[in-house]
Amino acid sequence: MTKVVIDPITRIEGHLRITCEVQNGKVVDAWNTTTLFRGFEIFMEGIDPRDTWHYAQRICGVCPNPHALNSAIAAERAMGVGSVPDNARLTREMLQACQLGYDSILWFYILNAFDYVNVPDVLNAKTTDPQLMAIQDQVKAIATSGQVNLFSNHYWDHPGYKLPPEINLTLTAHYLQAIEAQAAANQAAAVLAGKFPMIMTMAAGGVVQLPNLSDVNYYLDRMGIVKEFTEQVMWPDLLAVAGAFPELGTFGQGVGNYLTWGLMDAKSQKPEDRVFPPGGIFNGQLSVKPVDPADARLYTHYSYYDDAMGQGKKPFDVGQKEIQFTQYPPIEGDALPSGKYDWTRAARYPDPTSGKDVPMEVGPLSEVLVAYVQKQPEVVKYVDEVLAALGTPGKPAPATVLLSNLGRVAARVIKARINMDHAAGWANDLLANIKAGDTECFTPPDVNRTGEGISGYDAPRGALSHYCRISGGKTTKYAAVPASNWNLAPRDDSGQRGPVEAALVGTPVVDPAKPLEILRTVHTFDP
Amino acid sequence: MTVTERSSPVRGLSRRDFLKYCSAIAAAIGAGPLGVGKVAEAIAQAVEKPIVVWSDFQECLGCTVALLQATAPTPAQLILQQISLAYSEAAMAPAGFDAEKSFDQAFQQGTYWVIEGSIPQKMPSSMYVGGKYAGDIVKEFYPKAKGVIAIGSCACFGNVQAREPNPTGAMGIRAWLRGPGGMPDAQVVNVARCPGHPDDLVATLVYILVNGKLPELDSQGRPVFLYGQTIHDTCERRAHFEAGEFVEQFGDAGSLNRWCLYKVGCKGPVTYAPCAINRWNGRTSWCIHSGPCTGCSEDNFWNKFSPLRSPVPNIPIPAIQGVSAETIGVGLAAVTAAGLVVHLVGQVATGRLFKGGPSSDEKGGEQR
Repeated sequence: MTKVVIDPITRIEGHLRITCEVQNGKVVDAWNTTTLFRGFEIFMEGIDPRDTWHYAQRICGVCPNPHALNSAIAAERAMGVGSVPDNARLTREMLQACQLGYDSILWFYILNAFDYVNVPDVLNAKTTDPQLMAIQDQVKAIATSGQVNLFSNHYWDHPGYKLPPEINLTLTAHYLQAIEAQAAANQAAAVLAGKFPMIMTMAAGGVVQLPNLSDVNYYLDRMGIVKEFTEQVMWPDLLAVAGAFPELGTFGQGVGNYLTWGLMDAKSQKPEDRVFPPGGIFNGQLSVKPVDPADARLYTHYSYYDDAMGQGKKPFDVGQKEIQFTQYPPIEGDALPSGKYDWTRAARYPDPTSGKDVPMEVGPLSEVLVAYVQKQPEVVKYVDEVLAALGTPGKPAPATVLLSNLGRVAARVIKARINMDHAAGWANDLLANIKAGDTECFTPPDVNRTGEGISGYDAPRGALSHYCRISGGKTTKYAAVPASNWNLAPRDDSGQRGPVEAALVGTPVVDPAKPLEILRTVHTFDP
Repeated sequence: MTVTERSSPVRGLSRRDFLKYCSAIAAAIGAGPLGVGKVAEAIAQAVEKPIVVWSDFQECLGCTVALLQATAPTPAQLILQQISLAYSEAAMAPAGFDAEKSFDQAFQQGTYWVIEGSIPQKMPSSMYVGGKYAGDIVKEFYPKAKGVIAIGSCACFGNVQAREPNPTGAMGIRAWLRGPGGMPDAQVVNVARCPGHPDDLVATLVYILVNGKLPELDSQGRPVFLYGQTIHDTCERRAHFEAGEFVEQFGDAGSLNRWCLYKVGCKGPVTYAPCAINRWNGRTSWCIHSGPCTGCSEDNFWNKFSPLRSPVPNIPIPAIQGVSAETIGVGLAAVTAAGLVVHLVGQVATGRLFKGGPSSDEKGGEQR
């Protein structure tokens, strides 16, 4: 038995340790440990319900927009606003489009690419392209400077780096272009919302500011750049990487349960009408069950809270106050984690067949699967394109190949493309409303009401839900169940592993001192 | 290489763009038009690129994401050509023990240290990296760094997680070092705002490189050359304030005309930051374009300015509409007035209101 500990896991949002037990070249058990706690649900109690979204977007600086959106919706529902003016919906959707446009590129290149692309190897590439040669010069200058840099101390000699030097060079060039493309998406967000990250135009009840024509025009221009990059660079890169690393389809299967609250609101503002509809898939059976964010359950037997805080309670009934930190699992020595080992609570959902609370994978793969099973035509089109590229001419790969690391990587890019297909539509609908004389963008909420509100709307990394209860002009209870509570859940009270832990089991590790494959599996979840 | 040569010392930047960039930096650090050459020389002659370690503690990664949105220089120009970024958990290739090797090597080679995120004083277990408490890491490596810059309001002041009741006891880096860290003279440059602005960081780094010392700091540890003016005094909606034209409710006619946001909670009158000057996302926009300021550059702003939706009291409104400001938000009067006094004291201390040098506590420390 070999124990492998990676702390910090780099190229993620947040602070994460992974501990794996490796036997005969494979992971046989795994534990994820979040090493950060801030206490949002504690200090958000008592604040003005109109302010919650300002706080909530600080939960994640990579994906603040969906936190702001869910928080505003939960708070406005608690304050008696059931739906917002159509212009507010469209402005909010435009902001989510910017978020997803940037975040998909950020993940594919900046967070994920170094698991596959060997940067130092670009010096071995033969090229006469002056731009590519300039990149080689830059890499050479860094490599020979003697100064420690972002590429130092990594195991570039791992056999998993198998792309030819010329492909490594091309993908490195795309990495640099990706930085500019993601920035364009956020310039579009900034013109609608002041800045990104940490937007300014959200409001419980709608949006603060109706974008003017110049704002919308600028948004369309910037998102044009993002669309072009997504279609012409990221999509072909996905197909190339998927083709070059077929083994990605053979591990990382995970828990086999998939959950999404849906995303991209239609005019009705009803979850069931969303472009990506809500739904759950249980035990790998390809039928979709209805789901409701009110029914999420939380467990804390293995988390740094009192056991009684969780025990399957719903978010409104769970908090973060009963902290019971014991110790972090040991890094050195052979001892494996035991007892409490994670700041993250374990989110679970009741399987409608067995009634048992089970771990659920969330994220683009869940969203794509739920839509694919329901034959959502946009999703079917892109999934089929990927399966055709993975198969042989006339014989596409079976859809089951997507229940893997490969599926997670592909689904992220599929989601990105569908997002970009809709990005201009939101803006054009907004322009049509304004042209027709509709400039309404805000419904005043009743801050002194007693009530509660729930919102579930998926972030780029998956299911996200917020819960807000108010009375006397203050929040009396606030809860958030982000994607990490699902994917990075530790074991629950009955010992079931969380989705990342389950996906790690079976992951091959050719050299425990260079656990590249573990990084790959973890990164497919965009943790 | 010197700037008298035809080419730009920064690859990927034309000579004209390079000088434009230097002049923006010179203006930002208060070096004036004559400072352009000095800035350009400093950058061009930095044969050994400055090594930078970027650490993350109690944060949301928003400051790192903000850095990725920079345009002058772009992140690629900055990270690949102008500095040697040795350690950033968000961007680096290695992980785990290998990443820690890069951290240690950078400090052996000599590094500037940028810190994103706060230190949990009350609950050390709530922020660990590589099996070590963030506070212990800061204490051990502060003396070994060439200079420490706190990026964003978490590292400066604790920010959102320090909101009452501050469950983890989150504090800024400077406060932690000077208090629990046992180093009362510790110098940290606070590049505030939420998120921290990449242009402020670059300007601060260049200031240090050009002048060989930390910039003059105000009472909150922020560079005076960046944080000397209020949002209100530099605001594009200021004329509407003077004309008595206010947004009364989001989405109203005043809102469509982008009138003054004071009455819907804008903290611009009591917030010191260069937002109107260097704006955001490649200078595309800034908060006031789309909503009221939350005062994110100010120490303790969540506690001091809550509820964010309420107007700041005691701001004399021009008489046109005859509205008494005190009737709008009396509850906040005491705390906000106290905040203003603190800032005024800071100005006195740094010599901006009265002649005389900065006090020994607040003047720019020599580069260590």
